[in-house]
Amino acid sequence: MMPLTLSRRDLLRRLGVGTAVLPFLANLPSLAAAGTGAAKRRLVIVFSPDGVVKKNFWPANPGPFLTPGPVRVPAELPLILQPLEPFRDRLLTLQGVHNKVKGDGDLHMRGMGCLLTGIELFPGNIQGGGDTPAGWASGLSIDQEIKHHLQSRPETATRFGSLEFGVLVPNNADTWSRMVYTGPNKPVAPIDDPYQMFHKLYGQLKDRESMQSVLDELHEDLAKVAAALPAEDRRILDEHTALVRSFEQELSAHHVEVAHAVPVLEQGIVDQNDQMPKISRMQIELIVSSLAADFTRVATLQFTQSVGQPHMKWIGVDEGQHELSHEPNSNEAAQDKLTKINAWYAGEVAHLAKRLAETPEPGGDGSMLDHTTILWTNELGEGNSHSHADIPWVLVGGGLGFTSGRALNYPGVPHNRFLIALAHAMGHTGLERFGNPDYCGDGPLTGLA
Amino acid sequence: MAFSPIVRKLALLAFALAGGLSPWSPAAAVDPPGLTVYREHCQRCHGENGGGTPDAPKPLVGDRSVNQLAAYVDETMPEDDPSQVTGDAARQVAEYIHKSFYSAVARDRNRPARVEFSRLTVRQYRTVVADLVASFRGRGPGVDAQRGLRAEYFAGRDFDRGKSLIYEQIDPQVAFDFGIEGPDPERFEPNRFAIRWTGSVVPPETGHYEFVIRTAHSVKLALNTAWYEPPFIDASVKSGTETERRGTIFLLGGRAYPLKLSFSKANQGVDNTKHELPAHASIELLWKPPYGVLETVPEQCLIPHDSPSTFVLGTPFPPDDKSIGYERGTSVSKDWFQAATAAGSETAGYVLDHVEHLAHVKRDATDRATKLHAFAATFAERAFRRPLSPDLKTLVVDRAFAEAPDLDTGLKRSLLLILGSPRFLFREPGLTGDADPFDTAARLSFGLWDSIPDEPLWQAAARKQLATPEQIRGQAERMLGDRRAQVKLRDFLLAWLRIDHGPELAKDKNLYAGFSPEIAADLRTSLLLALDDVLGAAGTASAADFRRLFLDDEVWLNGRLASLYGAVLPPGAPFTRVRLDDGRRGGVLSHPYMMSVLSYTGVTSPIHRGVFLARSVLGNVLRPPEEAVAPLSPEQHPDLTTRERVALQTSGVACQTCHTMINPLGFALEEFDAIGRHRTAEARGGVEKPVNAAGSYLPREGPEATFKGGRELAAYVATSRDAQEAFVRSLFHVVVKQPARAWGPDTLENLRVSFAASGFDIRRLVVDIMVTAVLPPTFDVAQALPPASPRESPP
Repeated sequence: MMPLTLSRRDLLRRLGVGTAVLPFLANLPSLAAAGTGAAKRRLVIVFSPDGVVKKNFWPANPGPFLTPGPVRVPAELPLILQPLEPFRDRLLTLQGVHNKVKGDGDLHMRGMGCLLTGIELFPGNIQGGGDTPAGWASGLSIDQEIKHHLQSRPETATRFGSLEFGVLVPNNADTWSRMVYTGPNKPVAPIDDPYQMFHKLYGQLKDRESMQSVLDELHEDLAKVAAALPAEDRRILDEHTALVRSFEQELSAHHVEVAHAVPVLEQGIVDQNDQMPKISRMQIELIVSSLAADFTRVATLQFTQSVGQPHMKWIGVDEGQHELSHEPNSNEAAQDKLTKINAWYAGEVAHLAKRLAETPEPGGDGSMLDHTTILWTNELGEGNSHSHADIPWVLVGGGLGFTSGRALNYPGVPHNRFLIALAHAMGHTGLERFGNPDYCGDGPLTGLA
Repeated sequence: MAFSPIVRKLALLAFALAGGLSPWSPAAAVDPPGLTVYREHCQRCHGENGGGTPDAPKPLVGDRSVNQLAAYVDETMPEDDPSQVTGDAARQVAEYIHKSFYSAVARDRNRPARVEFSRLTVRQYRTVVADLVASFRGRGPGVDAQRGLRAEYFAGRDFDRGKSLIYEQIDPQVAFDFGIEGPDPERFEPNRFAIRWTGSVVPPETGHYEFVIRTAHSVKLALNTAWYEPPFIDASVKSGTETERRGTIFLLGGRAYPLKLSFSKANQGVDNTKHELPAHASIELLWKPPYGVLETVPEQCLIPHDSPSTFVLGTPFPPDDKSIGYERGTSVSKDWFQAATAAGSETAGYVLDHVEHLAHVKRDATDRATKLHAFAATFAERAFRRPLSPDLKTLVVDRAFAEAPDLDTGLKRSLLLILGSPRFLFREPGLTGDADPFDTAARLSFGLWDSIPDEPLWQAAARKQLATPEQIRGQAERMLGDRRAQVKLRDFLLAWLRIDHGPELAKDKNLYAGFSPEIAADLRTSLLLALDDVLGAAGTASAADFRRLFLDDEVWLNGRLASLYGAVLPPGAPFTRVRLDDGRRGGVLSHPYMMSVLSYTGVTSPIHRGVFLARSVLGNVLRPPEEAVAPLSPEQHPDLTTRERVALQTSGVACQTCHTMINPLGFALEEFDAIGRHRTAEARGGVEKPVNAAGSYLPREGPEATFKGGRELAAYVATSRDAQEAFVRSLFHVVVKQPARAWGPDTLENLRVSFAASGFDIRRLVVDIMVTAVLPPTFDVAQALPPASPRESPP
C-alpha cells in the first residue's frame, strides 16, 4: 500500500542524499509536483476567546455592506469589524450558524472542544463553571480532516500538512485550551513560542548554514590535530578528514534555495501578557512565510484559550478579558472595553490579511490573500450569556471561493454544516458528514459562493 | 523440524567462538599440517613467518584469497620444482600462510601492540554528551541504600504543602487500590485526595522503556524533564473510558532520572464538588524494560532523591567493532561519521533549547553575549578534556560567534564546531613520553565511566596531582563510588557472561508449562541482582570478591520464581536471597538464567554450556567445527541421555580436538535442566535415567581437574588460574579498550598476581588496571602494583 504521504526523508532518499546531510537540508519548496496548474487554496483559522459584543459585531443587515434605502453607499462596518475596513470587499460574516452540540462539559468547554470538531466531549474529570464534567472531544477537528485529505494527494501534500500557532496559550492542557484534535482524545497543543515555531520551520536551514559556516574552522582544527599525531595514528584522522570533505561536497551539491525570505524575529521576547502584541505579530509573520513556502495550506492561530484572560493594557484595558466578558450588557463600560478587545483581535486578523495581500502569490496570480481564507471565530456567541447561538464566523480573503463583501444571516443552522462547507471549498468534496451526523442533515452549508 | 533453527544457531555459535587472538587453538597440540609443508619447502627462501631471506627479500604478504593462493602455490611453488607442493599440500600451506602472516587480517594481528588513536565508541559518545550537558546542571543524588519514592498525601485535590499536606512517607512502589473510601476515611475525603510521588528512577539497563500509568483519575508523570518542561505524560484530563496512558523513552542504564508522579482523585478545572460521585480509585506505575515484561516499576529501581534531568541522545549509531572481544573505535566509516554529525547537531540543539538554564542566562539579559561566550569556552574545555589554549578558543569560540548574525546562532556554530572537532571525537593521541595530567585524567574517566572527567578529577589534573600511582589509585577509588562505574562493571560482567544483549528465552510449553515471559524476565532480574551483590553497592568499601561469582549458593527469587524453582515464598513476595537446592548452586555458573540461556527449548545443551565455560570463563580459544553439524535429535536416540547423545555426536576425531575440553565442562552442569531446575534424573525412553554430572578440565598448566556437578565445578573455577587470567584480560580490554600487550608482555600476569594478592577483589583489580593503563607503557607498572601477599585463600 502506498503511504498516505511521501515523507521528506523518503523523498531525499530517492534523491540519493545521505543521512548526514539530511538534518541540514531544509525547506524543499514543496513536496507537491510543480506545475499541476491548479491554484492553491489555503485556510487559516484564527481563534479569540470569550464571545463578542453582539451589537458591535454583527452587521445590521444581511446582504452587501451597504446602507439601506434607494441610494446605497458603503455602510460603516460594526465597531469591532472596523479594522477590517481595508478588506471590506474580501469580508464575509456568517450569522445564525450555531454550535448545537450538547452533552458533558460547560459552555466554554463545549464551545472550544466542539467548535472545530462538531462532536460531543467525552465524559471526564474536568469540571467547568456549570454542567457535568467532561474530557476531550470525541472526534477530530475540521482542519485536521482537511489536512488528511490534502496530504493524501501528491499535488496538495506539503511538508507539514498543518501548523498550529498560538499566542499566550496557558500551559495547562485541558478542554479549555485545545481546539485542534487529530482524533478522539487526541488534542494538539498549539505552539505559542515563536522561536520554537521558527525552529520547527527553519531549524534545519539554520543548522545547515551553521554547519557550512564552520567548515573552514573545522578543517583548520583537523590539520592542527593531524600535525601533532604520530604517523601511525594519522591514518584514521585522514579517513575522517576525507569524510568531512565528502560531507561538505554533499551539502553544497544539494543546496536548495529558499524561495522566500526567512523572517527575522526580534530576539529576547518572553512569554508574558504584555508581549502579546509582539508575539502575535511574530506568529503572523511565520504564518505568512510558511504559507508562502508552501510548508502547509492549513493553519490555526489560537489567541490564549477559552476563558482566556489577557489584560490588554496596551489598549487601555487593565481588566482580564474573561472577567469582563461576564459583565451584563447593561454595563456599558465593560461592553466598551470588550468591544475594544475584540477590535484588537480584528486588527490582528486585518494585519494577517494585509501581509497576505501585499505578498504576491508564489507561482500564481494575484496576492496570497486571493488564495487564502482567514476564518476568525470564537467559542461563544456572547460572553455573559455563554451562548452557542450566533457563533462568530468572519471570513477574509479568497481562498475558498466564497462570495465576499457581504453579511449572511442563516436561520440557526448547526455549524457542522459550515465545517463541511469549509472542507468542500478546500477540495475535500467527498465529505458528507462531519462530527455528530445528527447536525449534518442537509449537507454542506449553501449560499456561501 | 524443531531442530532446524538450532542447527543454524549452533553453526553460528561455533563460528562466533572462532574469533580469538591466535588462529591456532592451544587445544590443537600438533602443528598445523601447512606449517610442516612450509618448513619443508618454503622457509628456505621466504624465511620464518614469511619474513623473507636474501633469496626472496620481499615479505610474503598480499591480498590473494586462500583459494587463489593455493592455486598459485600448486602451479608455481617451489620455483625450482612446482611438482613438490600440489593438491592438498598446496592447500594446507596456503591456509597456513594466509592465516599466519600473509593476509591483511594476519598482518594486523601480528603488528606489535600499541595504543591506538581511536574515536569514541558509541557508548562513550552517549555518556560523554550526557555528562557534558549534566556538568552544567546540579549534581545528581549520591548513592545510598534508600529505595522507593517520596510520597506526599494531600487532603484535597491540589498539591499544597502549606494547606493540605496530611503526611509524607516512602512508598516502595506505586501500586495502590484505594477502593471507594480512599486511603484513610478519617483523614481524607474519599473523593478528594491527591498524592505526589517524587524521586528518581534508575533503570537497570540501557534501552527503551515503555512507561504505563493505570488510573481512572487525573495524573501527570514528569520523567527526565526539567521543571520548566511539559511532563512526559499528561493525563490530567480523564476522558471517556481511557484508564491507561503509555509513553516510551530511551534511557541510559544505571543513571538516576528525575520522576514526579502527581495523582489527584477529584474533578479538575473549576473547584466544584457537585458532580463528584463516589468512585473507585487506584493507581499503578508500570514499565516494560528492555528484555523485560510489563511490571510495576520495582522498588529496587526507585530512589527517593531528586536528580537533574539528563540529556539522552536519540541519534542512532552503527554498532562498534567488537571483533576482538571488546568495543573499540579504531576505525571510522561513513555511517559512523553521519551518525556523529547528526548527533552533534542533536546535542547542540538540546543545549540551545536549554541554554537559559545551562548557561544561567535569561533571553533578555544584558550580559548574554559574555555569558554565552564563556559557556561555549567551558563546553569546549570539557568536551576536549583539557584547558583551552587562547588559539583554540579563538578558533572554536570567538570566530564562530563573530561571524554569526545573532548570539544563538553563534553558540550553535561554536557547539557544532566543538562537537565536530577531532579533539572531542578522538582519544589517546600518542601515549608516549611524559604523562600529561589531563590525558591521565581522561584515561581515568574513560576507563571507569566511559566519560569525561568530573570536577574533582579536573582539579587534580590542574594541580598536577595525577603523577604517582598513589594519586591515581586515590582518584580511581573515589570514582568507583559513582553509579557510572557500577554500570560499567555490571555491563562488563554481562558481556563476560555473554548475555549483554538479552537473549530471547522461550521454552517448550509441554515440558516447562510454568516457564513464561514473566519468568524469563524475573530470571534476568535475579541474575542482575546477583551481579550487584558481588560488585557491592556503589559507594560501599566492601570487597567485590571474584570468587563469589562462583561460590554463592543463594539465588535471588521472588514469589513467582520460587514456586517454579522449588523454594517456599509467598506468591507475591519481592526478590529475596534464597539458598536453593540445598547448596548445590554455584553462583552465576548454575544460575537458572544462565542454565536456561545455555539450553535448547526442550533439552539442555552441554555443548553451549561447555563452550561458554571453556571460552568465556576459562579463556580458551576454540576453533570452529570443520563443518556445521546438526545436533542429533533426542527423538532419534530415545534411549540415550543428553550426555550420551552429545558424546556420540562429537565422537569423531575431528570433533575431539575441541570437544575433549568442551564436553566434560558442560556435562558437569547436566544436573540443571533446560530451565535451570536441579535434577538427578532425566526421563529417556520412558525411563528415569540418573544424571551423570561428572566433569573435568585440563588447564593450560598443571594436572587435570575433575569435579562432579555444578557446585564442584564452580569451586574449581573459583580458584582456577585460567579463569583468573581470562577475567583479568577481558576486564582490562573492556576498561582500557586498547591491547594490554601495548603495556608490555607481563602486564596481564602482573595484574593477575595483584588480583590474587587482593583476595580477588574486582574493584581493586579495576583500580590496578587504571594504575597500569593511565601511565605511559614505559612506566614500570609492576612496581606500582601491590606486592603479592598470602591472601590467596578462599574467602
